[in-house]
Amino acid sequence: MPGSPEASRWRFLITPKWLAWHAFVILSVVGMGWLGYWQFRRAEAGNALSWAYTFEWPLFAIFAVVFWIKTIRDEVHPPAPTTWQEEAGLPVGARQRGDAGEPDGEEDGDLIAYNAYLARLAKEVRGHGRWHGLR
Amino acid sequence: MAGGTVSGSGHTPDEPAKEVRRVRLNVVLYRVMAYVTGVVLIVLCVLAIMQAFVNDEEAVSIVGQIHGGLYIVYLLVAFALCRRLRLPVWPTVAVLLAGTIPVMTFIVERWVTHRYIEPALAGATAAASPPVPEPRP
Repeated sequence: MPGSPEASRWRFLITPKWLAWHAFVILSVVGMGWLGYWQFRRAEAGNALSWAYTFEWPLFAIFAVVFWIKTIRDEVHPPAPTTWQEEAGLPVGARQRGDAGEPDGEEDGDLIAYNAYLARLAKEVRGHGRWHGLR
Repeated sequence: MAGGTVSGSGHTPDEPAKEVRRVRLNVVLYRVMAYVTGVVLIVLCVLAIMQAFVNDEEAVSIVGQIHGGLYIVYLLVAFALCRRLRLPVWPTVAVLLAGTIPVMTFIVERWVTHRYIEPALAGATAAASPPVPEPRP
């Protein structure tokens, strides 16, 4: 049902970048399946060393599917920031410097310097909070 | 400043330190696998090129299988690291595929170190260590 909250929650799946991601996953899974089948035929034809690849390619295909599922799950339920990201307050620190303007009078020079240092770190790692990169 | 950048958190002090250790371990594992897989892949390529002169299919198959096995380990370690550092999807794909392209693991390892590992560890270390103000000129 278009327009229902449940539907709009999954709407991101049909945006162009996600469609490209789906196509990439499908093509790679089909490709790996085909390679696995090719190795299977070679193995049956007497190439004993192809048996390993016969099992390896499907394994990679399964891995690709697991990866794909995890990207979608991360988009629907973004993972919580890791402990150290929270602890450092990195994104918060960066935003506070920008939004709050002047610091509290209680802050001494060292603390201001330290917060500036944190803000610089936050700038470096900004965008790492969410795992997926389809944006 | 309440809930500020330096103070104020409900976590036990050793939690970030633990996370830093985990990231460090994962980084070391990733680097080892990137270099081992990369070297074996180069050996495999050299052997494959030598096929044109010396017909030694056995050696190529054996090294190929070794690379196949190492690549599975590389995938697991690299994927764990990418998730831990919250790499976007396409960089993750690049890191994972690097293990199949000759010389690529070395290049990607340097890029990942510079672009993701160092900033993450800088942030993690700042969180794990007590907030010692850093005097700046």
